[in-house]
Formats: sequence, structure tokens, C-alpha cells
Amino acid sequence: MKTFLYIGLLFTVFTTSGCWDRTEINDLAFIAGTAFDITDDGQYILSHQIAIPSQAAPGGGGSGQPEKFFVMSAVGKTINEAFYRLQKRSSRRLFTAHRSVIFIGESLAKRGIQDILDVYTHESKQRLKTYIMVVKGGEARSLLKVKYPFEQVPSEAIKEMEGLRSELAVTLRDFFLASSSEGISPFLGVIMPVGLSEGIKENKIFMLAGTAIFKDFKLVGFLNENETNGFLWVTDRMKSGRINAKLREGDGTVGMILDNANRKITPEISGDKIKFKIQLEGEGTIWENNTPLDIGLPKNLRLVEKAMEKSVEKQVLDTLSKVQKRYKVDSVGFGQEIYRNKPKQWKVLKKQWDHKFQEVDVSITVKLNVIGSGMAGAPLQLKEKEIIK
Amino acid sequence: MKRFRKWMRSKRGYPNIPEVHSEEDKNSSLTSDLEQNELIFQRLFHNSSDIVFRKVRLAGKNHWLVMYLASLVDEKIIDEHILKPLISNRTKQNDRVSEKTEALDDQFISLGTTSITSKVTNIVRQLLNGHAAVLTVGDGDAMMVKVTGTPQRSLEEPSSEPVIRGPRDGFIENISTNMGLIRKRIKTSRLKMESITLGELTQTQVVITYIVGIVSESVVEEVRKRVSRIHIDGILDSGYIEEFIEDSPFSPFPLVHSTERPDVVAAELLEGKIAILVDTSPFVLIVPMTFWAGMQASEDYYVRWPIATFVRWIRFLFIIIAIFAPPLYVAITTFHQEMIPTNLVLSIASSREAVPFPAVVEALLMEIIFEALREAGIRLPKQIGQAISIVGALVIGQAAVQAGIISAPVVIIVSITGIAAFTIPRYSFANGIRLLRFPILFLAGTLGLYGIVLGFLSILLHVTSLRSFGVPYFTPVAPLTISNLKDVILRVPVWAKTRRPQATGSNNPFREPAGQKPSPSQGKRSSE
Repeated sequence: MKTFLYIGLLFTVFTTSGCWDRTEINDLAFIAGTAFDITDDGQYILSHQIAIPSQAAPGGGGSGQPEKFFVMSAVGKTINEAFYRLQKRSSRRLFTAHRSVIFIGESLAKRGIQDILDVYTHESKQRLKTYIMVVKGGEARSLLKVKYPFEQVPSEAIKEMEGLRSELAVTLRDFFLASSSEGISPFLGVIMPVGLSEGIKENKIFMLAGTAIFKDFKLVGFLNENETNGFLWVTDRMKSGRINAKLREGDGTVGMILDNANRKITPEISGDKIKFKIQLEGEGTIWENNTPLDIGLPKNLRLVEKAMEKSVEKQVLDTLSKVQKRYKVDSVGFGQEIYRNKPKQWKVLKKQWDHKFQEVDVSITVKLNVIGSGMAGAPLQLKEKEIIK
Repeated sequence: MKRFRKWMRSKRGYPNIPEVHSEEDKNSSLTSDLEQNELIFQRLFHNSSDIVFRKVRLAGKNHWLVMYLASLVDEKIIDEHILKPLISNRTKQNDRVSEKTEALDDQFISLGTTSITSKVTNIVRQLLNGHAAVLTVGDGDAMMVKVTGTPQRSLEEPSSEPVIRGPRDGFIENISTNMGLIRKRIKTSRLKMESITLGELTQTQVVITYIVGIVSESVVEEVRKRVSRIHIDGILDSGYIEEFIEDSPFSPFPLVHSTERPDVVAAELLEGKIAILVDTSPFVLIVPMTFWAGMQASEDYYVRWPIATFVRWIRFLFIIIAIFAPPLYVAITTFHQEMIPTNLVLSIASSREAVPFPAVVEALLMEIIFEALREAGIRLPKQIGQAISIVGALVIGQAAVQAGIISAPVVIIVSITGIAAFTIPRYSFANGIRLLRFPILFLAGTLGLYGIVLGFLSILLHVTSLRSFGVPYFTPVAPLTISNLKDVILRVPVWAKTRRPQATGSNNPFREPAGQKPSPSQGKRSSE
């Protein structure tokens, strides 16, 4: 009889812990991307870009160009309410684990995003790896409707673009880390709709466009492409990048591509004065040379390096002055450096850091190392005589 | 449960089994009257068309009686070596003809295996084993002469274990040929072959063979004990013996290794194992068996070791696939969709779009159909076999997917699984693995990955708890014997495998001296 009892007990494992969370894959609606906007009366608009799997399969046939995705939107006082309303419109369970991006409308970002973020910390199927970005100049949901020629769903394309690391890529995790850390303010990536090529309005796609600076979860301003480049370097997120510089000698421009970039910040506190030394080091190869200089020669190479260093220094200084003087937000994390290296002083400085930060003195030293000039020294199109050796 | 146990447990005593010689009193002997003796056997072999009674006269009187079963003997031998001498002797008028049966093999019968008996039971048994009986007038003894000549198949490459490189002879249905195939490989008097007869009606000869000095005597004793314990009316294949001597009869894993290859038997004997040969069966049993023996093909030892090692790893990989691929597919697509990369999830979702069944049902359906196809392929006559594979491939591979009844990923998974099960070299072992897939598939369909882990752990627990003739089934992995892993995880070169496996060969641990690694300098030294 005992055996029957054991078998019965074992069977309860199947019946009680069994199929309750079993969902067939074709009963799920895969959310590829989400957009948050705000209405004029302060309600949230939640939009989902949902992949249509039957059309995504290659060689499926059918007439015309089948849709690969569709966008649903709902309004709610809270995100949860809006999500619930969207679920009611969907015949399949909304599945968030495959979401790759979250867009935040500019107007919502300016009002503050703290209320929409908490949703992501509770459910396990929300991925902290999701990229989050602000849509510059427009509503976030309009970006969800943009079609993209590559990838099955457009949101995947953005994930891939972010993965290339050519621009600032901020995930939910990064954002939460920055906003909960001492001495640093969070920032987000920026995306905006553009034409396929400059000047054409129709056939819109999207592009990554700089950095959004936040203060107390409110958007205070943007950094443009150039400033973002400097920002990436000074926040040690630079993986690879391009530097352009104008050369006084020889009159022309040179460009290099960075393979390796490092940053070091050393805080120095003497009495009331706070000073930061930023050391930037980089390694790369020359990519473009529009000067008559023969950069195959070490002497000329040094010149080029000098010019590049100048250019980088200016770029970083521009970025810093914008962040420091105009937006008055410590997005770079200077405070964090003090907190990490001089925790005692930070305790004192912490309270007044918002003010102090604006008066902080920054000195930058750039050390670039050009390890190669590519296949040519001087431009090949020039005659021998025109080349400066 | 009790009733079930009672049903499964065989009762002691076997009152219903008819004994071979029950017609005649066990102790009855021949009389001195030749006619009387003939009558005894005529009555015993009543209605048997193949019994032959040949009387040879001497001086006008019946003097000798030669009896044999024509279906079991080589009649040419009888003609040449029994009848011819007897008859020619009569014509020569040799008057020194002995009246005694005992003297027959001194004077007339020029054959090797002879014996004298007077018991009717013995005579009958030997007649049925292909002996001829020669009776003399006025003598109560019979001379039994071995003239066996049953038809036998020629040695062929074993179809269940083919190799590319390696010996191509396989066992056949004749036990003495099989014994010869082993003797031919191991030429030592220490190779013992104990014979025992099993099966009340079939009287099947069973031979236990081992190498004294390597084998553990207690295991031999255990095998003897288990084999002699068997009481059954008939033994038609070694499979009967296997089921009687297994340690865990309810396990899906085979605990007795069966092979058609004499080289495998020889190799296992050299490792201190025991082989059991059964007459009329080309499959020889080897005990004790380990889990890893199920994963080793004989060819592993004939090809160069890096290739053999690589192939073994492939097998390890595919045994996992054979058990876990369909369950993993089902579990992940129905419980853990977040684990699949986005692009893959979309293409799986699109192929499942029109499928009416849940993934578990789909996978189960396909697995069962695949098993049916496999079974049909084995049983069908060879000429029709091809038709089945075409129908199977077309119906299942294409039509079902196009009709949207089955999704393409499931077909892919099931075919990979099918191939995976065939990479396991031991047929009976592969069968066990195939069987395990279904409970795990069921677990995966109800509990997801949790179920798979549950299933995996219970398989692991079961395998590690098994024992075959005192040897842990999972050895040398659990319990761990690191030096023996050389022949499990790797297949080290022959010159590096200096020891026998500890579990069976600890009596005589070394098989070769160390330091035989070939190198140019060694070659030079030997030429000096």
C-alpha cells in the first residue's frame, strides 16, 4: 500500500506543479519594441511593436509585401493599466522577454521618467539588457511604425545598431546603475527619425543621434554627435571611434580610426579647490590624409598626432563645458571618482556637489599613438614634387 | 502491488514442465537382447521419420545395430567410418571379431569422440545431440559415436556490429564453431570453457568461458550459480539466459553485454570478464557489463587513437542528444521562450503558426512514427524495406510539414534524434536509450526544464545504483578510478594502456610493460 502512496505523491508533482505556465509558442505575441509617450493631460501612452511571425518566415509566399509587424497603443494613468488595456486587445499573450528597445518620447522625458521605470524591475521576463533611448523631436510611437529594410522587425535593427557601439548605447541596467550610484547622473542614448539620405523626407528610417542628459530623471538637454564622441571618451565607453583634425602645416585634414582608447581621471582636492586631471590615451591608424604631407615619415606623423590630440582635447573640453556649465549635471561621474578615491572628502562634498561641480577645474592631456598610416604615406594622387617631406 | 509482485515473481518448482525422457524410466538400461533393444527405441522414437535403424549381419545373423537421427548427423561419416568397417570386416571373415561393444572403437570405428553407456536416457540424449549409437548382439552396452552434422551457416560479417577496419568473422548458430572462434584468438590452456546443459526440452548447451588467472574466481562462481539456477522448458537464444541472470531486470539499461563478434569476446576475456555462449545463438553474453561498454565499438581499438577518441566524444554528445533533444525542444518552446534568440523564436513561431497540436503532442507523435518506421524497416523483407523509407520520408518529411500538421523544427529534431540513437554501437544499449526518451519527453511537456532536470537526475541516480555481477555499472566514472578513464573518456594508444580495468582485472592488473612508446631512438637501439 505504501508504494501506491508514494506513486500518488509523485503524481502530485505532475498535477500541481505541472502545466500551469505552459504556453505554446504560437500563443505568444512577441513584443519587439516599446514606446512611451505622454498625453497633454498627463496620461501615459504605451505602444508595442509586435512581430508577426507567419510573415517573417522566408519563402512564405503570399501576395504583395506582407507586414512583418504591427503597432498597438493604449492610454493609461499608469503603465500597468495601459499594458492591461493592450493585453485586452491581443489574442495572444504579450511576451516581453524578446523586447530589444524601449523608446521614450521627448516630451515625456522632459516631464520625468521615474514612474515608467519601476515596471521593469519587478517581472523576471523584463530584460535589463533592453536598450533604452530618448526619441529626439517627436513622439516615440511614431518611431515604432518606421519600417526598416534589414531585419525582421525594425526594433531588431536598433539592437544591432547599438551593438556596433558606434554611438552611446545605454541599457536599462546601465541606467539603473548610474541613477542609483553616488556622484553620477544618468544619461540615455538618443534616436531620431531621418530620411534614408539627407534631405529626403519620405522613406524614413532612424539613426542614433547623441546623448540625452538627465537630471533627477528629467531630460535637461542633448549632446550632439561630436559632443557624444567626446562624452564617450571621457566616460570610458569608447571602444572605437574616428578622429578628424585640421592641419595648419600643409593645409588639409587628416582622419584616424581608433582601435583602442583609455581614460584615467585623477581627482585632486586642495582645500576648497577641486581639480580633475583627465588622461586620454588612444591607439589607431590613419584613415584619411588630405594634406600633401608624407605621413610615412616619423616627423610628419608626429605633426599629425599633435593635431589630432588638439582636436580631441577641444572636443572633450567642449563636451565638458556643455555638461558642466550649461546643463549643470555631473553625467561624467566626477563625483563618483571622488567617492571612489577619496570617500572621506566625498562625505563632505556630497551635499553641495551640484554647486561645486560647476566650479571644478578640469585639465586634459591627450596621448595618441598612431601605429600605422595605412598603405600609403602621401596621397597617391599627388605628384612627387607636391609632397612635403 | 502485492498481486503484481506475485505475478512477476516466478514460483519455485515447475510441476508443469514436461521432462525430456519421462516416457521411459530414468534408470532403465539396455538388455542383452538386440531385438528387444531395438524395440525400446522404436517405441521411444515412434512417429519420428528421421530415425534410422541399420542392422549389420555377421554370419547370417543380426550382429550390430546402428541407430542415428538422420537430420542431425553427417551420414557420410557414418557410411565411411562406422558402416563400411563393420561390413567390410564381415566379408573378410575376420574371426577375431570381439563380441563386446567396448572393443568396437579399437577395431572398427575410426572416429574421435566415443563413449560407452547402457542407460536408455543417456543414449536418447546423445542421439538427439547428433551421436550415433552402435549396439552389439548379446551386450547391454551401446557405443555412442559423435557424428554431428547439422547444417550450418558460413561465417559472415556480423550484421549488428559491422566495422570498416577489423576482423569480419562473426559468431554463428553452432556453439562448437563459436568456441573455436574464441580459441583461435586466445591460445592458452588457461582459457576455460565449462559446459552446462539448460532447457528441459531443448537441452541447449551453454558454455561459460573465462581466462583463469585474470578473472575473479568469485565472479565465475556467481555466474555458474546464476546459470545453473535456470529451469525452463527451452532456451532458443542467449536472450533467454540474459534475462535470467541480470541484476536489475526492470532497468532499461542492459546489464549483460551481448555481441556477435569473437574479437569483442576475446578482448573482454582479456579484461577479466566472463563470456557465456549458447548453442543455436550467434549472440554471446559477456558479464559484467558497464555503462561505458555500451558506448564502445570494437573498431575503436583498431583505428588510430586520436580518431577513436574523437569518435567517442561524438558518441557522448549524441547520446545526450538522443535522450534530450526532443524534450529540450518541447520544454524551451512551451515554457522558456525567453531562452531562444529573437530571430530563432520568430522563425519557430512562424513554422508553428498553423500547427494544431501542442509541441509535446507533436514531438511524441513524430517520435512514435519514427519508431514505427524503424521497426517496420527491420521486420520487412528487404525488397519492401526501401518502399517504407520512401513513404516515410515523403509522408513525414514533406507532406506533413506542408499540410501544416507537423512543424518543420520538430521534424528536424526528431531526425537528429533518430540519427543520434544510431551512433550508439551496442544495439541493446541503444534500445534502452531510445526508450528513455519518452518519459523525459513527457516530463518536459508537463514540467519544462525542471522536468528534464528531474528526469536527468533520476536517470543518473538509477545508472549509478546499478550493478552487474558486483561491478558498479557506471565505473570507472562513479566510483571514480582515474587511471581507468584512459579507456573511457579517451582511448589512449595501446602502448599506454598498461593496466586492465580495475573492476574486473585486478587479479592480474598489468597487460603489458610500460615504456613501449615507439620513437626513432627506440628503433635504433633495437637494430644495434
